[in-house]
Amino acid sequence: MTTAALTPLGRVVATERRPNTPHEFHFWTSLDSPVGVGTIVRVEGKYTINGQITRVYGVVVEGFSYSDLQSPLHDVLGHDGSPASASLASTERAEIRLYTAAVLRQLPDEPLQPVPLGDVHLADDADIAVALRMDGYLADGARTGIPIGVYHAGGTDAPIYLDADFLIGPEAAHLNITGVSGLATKTSAIEWILASLFTHFPEQKGSIAAVCFNVKGPDLCFLDQPGEIDERDRALYEKCGVSPAPFGNVQYFAPYKSDGVSLNTLRSNEALLDNVTALTWGLREVLQYAEVLLNKDDVDAKADALIDFIRERIVDRDFHDELVLPGKRYRVRSFADLEQWFKDLLVALEHRGNESWRTHHIATIRKVRNRLSNISTRCAGLVTDDGNVGDLPFGSFQDRTVYVIDVASLEEDAQDLVFARVVTKLREHLEKRDLGVKHVVVFVDELNKYAPSDGQDTYVRKMLLDLAERGRYLGLVLFSAQQFRSQVHRRVVGNSGTALYGRMDADELATPGYSVLSPAVKTKLATLEKGQLMVRHPHFTQPIFVRFPRPAIMRGRDGAERYPQAQDVTLEAALLRSLRPLDPTLTLNWIQDVVVLHEEEDVIRARNATLRERPSDVRRFFKAQLASRVPTTPVTPRPMVTPIRSAPADDPYGP
Amino acid sequence: MTVVLRAATDQGLLALQRQLRALAPDIALVTNGDQALERVTPDARPPRLVGADVMEGSVMRARRVFGDHEAAFAAFLDGTQTSRVVAYVDGTPIVHGTVAAVVRMRRNRRLTTWHRPIVRRRLYACLRAFTPEQVRALHALGLEVVDTTPASQEPALHPFILRDEAVHRVQEDREEAERELAERWCHHEREPLFIDGGISGSDKVAVSACTVGVVKSHRTLYAEGDALQTIFGLRSGERSSVFRVTSPKRIPVASWYLRLRDPLGYDPMWGLVRVEIACPAHIDADSVGPTADRVSLWILAEATPLALPDGRWDKMVYGIRDCEEFLHAVT
Repeated sequence: MTTAALTPLGRVVATERRPNTPHEFHFWTSLDSPVGVGTIVRVEGKYTINGQITRVYGVVVEGFSYSDLQSPLHDVLGHDGSPASASLASTERAEIRLYTAAVLRQLPDEPLQPVPLGDVHLADDADIAVALRMDGYLADGARTGIPIGVYHAGGTDAPIYLDADFLIGPEAAHLNITGVSGLATKTSAIEWILASLFTHFPEQKGSIAAVCFNVKGPDLCFLDQPGEIDERDRALYEKCGVSPAPFGNVQYFAPYKSDGVSLNTLRSNEALLDNVTALTWGLREVLQYAEVLLNKDDVDAKADALIDFIRERIVDRDFHDELVLPGKRYRVRSFADLEQWFKDLLVALEHRGNESWRTHHIATIRKVRNRLSNISTRCAGLVTDDGNVGDLPFGSFQDRTVYVIDVASLEEDAQDLVFARVVTKLREHLEKRDLGVKHVVVFVDELNKYAPSDGQDTYVRKMLLDLAERGRYLGLVLFSAQQFRSQVHRRVVGNSGTALYGRMDADELATPGYSVLSPAVKTKLATLEKGQLMVRHPHFTQPIFVRFPRPAIMRGRDGAERYPQAQDVTLEAALLRSLRPLDPTLTLNWIQDVVVLHEEEDVIRARNATLRERPSDVRRFFKAQLASRVPTTPVTPRPMVTPIRSAPADDPYGP
Repeated sequence: MTVVLRAATDQGLLALQRQLRALAPDIALVTNGDQALERVTPDARPPRLVGADVMEGSVMRARRVFGDHEAAFAAFLDGTQTSRVVAYVDGTPIVHGTVAAVVRMRRNRRLTTWHRPIVRRRLYACLRAFTPEQVRALHALGLEVVDTTPASQEPALHPFILRDEAVHRVQEDREEAERELAERWCHHEREPLFIDGGISGSDKVAVSACTVGVVKSHRTLYAEGDALQTIFGLRSGERSSVFRVTSPKRIPVASWYLRLRDPLGYDPMWGLVRVEIACPAHIDADSVGPTADRVSLWILAEATPLALPDGRWDKMVYGIRDCEEFLHAVT
């Protein structure tokens, strides 16, 4: 035990007006004691209960200072109204520092009694472990502690650990962080926690990966690039046992721009493309989540029935209807195929004058055609007409790997689609235990946009609610962030076992959700420095303030300056850029020679196929994709031949 | 139930009463007397004027104190007393008295306790009125018992006379405690000590060069005639001529009046204190005047911070208020 821990820094005091209770006590200190809001202290009782001397741990939640004056007027009079003369006084007035602390833990636990009068000590490392009940999961053989930061007060620098069983499951799960933009360091905190999680996640709990949605700017675009940290940060890293290095395994996924050639991400610099994969989906991938893109007005019961019919009977199946579409056979694999099918069907129905087809009214068919065909336009770059797919490696996820999906430049609908499909696929694979890893952390920023507390019920919100309520049983864990916690659906944040708070907005703190915090804690939250967080965790009976290091990762702004986004280039240059990571020997001349005779859409199709297959011989495979498509020649209509009249014109049995 | 509302001292008083009842069940305990006797016992000494033996010059006159105020006092001494009737035995009161004294030392403009304060608790009673069993019961309580039987041989006395007698004995004990601490200071320290009250009660303190007594009450005014008008006419920062205070039972000391605050709008005693220091061995007008000026500047330096919220803040310095607050907390 340190000298500081042995020397009392205060004494518990209780009066009739301000009595101590089992959950709160008061103590005074000298004027120069290192106590402040958030400091953890230990009270040594004088009496034994059940053979054990009582010991109480508390965290300071409020502080008071006052002198023996009854009225400020007295002080004004005493100094003749001149503040400057106060420093001339021969004696300083008696002044008291009185603190209120909330009880973190009492030993013995039973019977629960009011806090006794006794000496107050600054808590040391061991005290903090006991006070926060971390001793249970930091014990040998049960180490599930994940460092979240360092508690600092007086001379004490103690790492604070979260319990992996309560952060990733199965006991509790999910983490939510809130705070104002720019100052709350939400993204930095998540990056740091992921690094800590990847380092300390217990082996016996299995493998873990993270899927992060980059929803704004270059925030998460350079997780694999080293960033600058100072000595203070290094000390925090060392204290927490985490290596100050960027993530070793990061995979990026980004859709194309609407031209289908350039990647729609701020991480498009050629030097960083080796771990960037295009994210493109076709009809089959999208149709399952049509509900995400079509609002309630679009999808009524009749339209829904037709979409179900298309999904079940048309897509990826051989389809023919001899009655309406005689002689035609369809196998719809892409939006283009689907469009052709719609077109043929509607022409046929109009030609025949039919009002409906297989119970579906022609107006419904027109409406569904309009909405579905529109998807590839609205989500251009993500959704392809030709059915080519570039996807996350579902089934082969790797341990301690971060998968970043950059949707920052996508339209809102497309973002929703990406989000819904990825999370659903993760869930499906985790249910079947074939994802490749046992646990997945999904990081979603701007949660108040995806799961707002008000507004209409959306597919994404329902999915987030489901994830928050049932994800932990599957190993699917939500790490979420937002500026205003009060604007997020209560069930989503309520199910977050761990909650972090950075610098808070005063208006937000005035909302009912923060009424349990003391005014001093609220004030501290409103003035938190960068790199400080308030932590609530199931094991901690009171919020705890910690400091965490700056992530050893290149900041998004720095990355965007150092690795500027690639400019839009010619098709050939874009091809070179995307294929070169597969084969560095490729040259622009070779590509120009190969593609010169081919249509642009064929070239893109060949590129997509190459990127999807990642063949060992890129040149041969790419050329083969182009060669396999024989250029079509325009078909000249055969001259009409007058049929031989073989029967009288009025023959009722004639053709 | 008022037990919770009372301070620790009062709880001790209740315990004492319970003990007393166990020893002498017939004794009538006073359980409803919250007020200290000091508040109900008036100062019986009549106000008076005494002619002053002026040491500085030939007549009493007002003198402005020139110079910068200097916080030279190293410490402050004060004492407190509290007495309450715990029981009556056939109309004779048994008084529980607490006296305390403390020296609060100033370091870096903050006050801390010098050595251990004195806290004494005693029982005061006219033992002549009690039976031997009752006296034994009192002694069995574990507190020192002080016999306050008056010199008068009257067979029966008014209980208030007996009560007042007890209070005066408590006051004497308080003065003794103050004197004890002051003498201890003079023995160990050389820096100036501010004493609340006169210094002439102790032959050691009264001749010490490091003690300054400051008297706030003026039931005895050392001036007559024009001299009295001179004192009443003192303005803030002015002092009177130094005069000698003598008494058959006390040590002669040099004294002067000093006005700490402007009395405009108040009574003539507003902000007026009388200062006592050791009397010079040889009467020397040239030295006693500058000494009085220097000491006056020390006292004027203590005019801030105000001793508010104490009602005597016009005459009381903050160091003395701090002593009283300290003693209030420990008794």
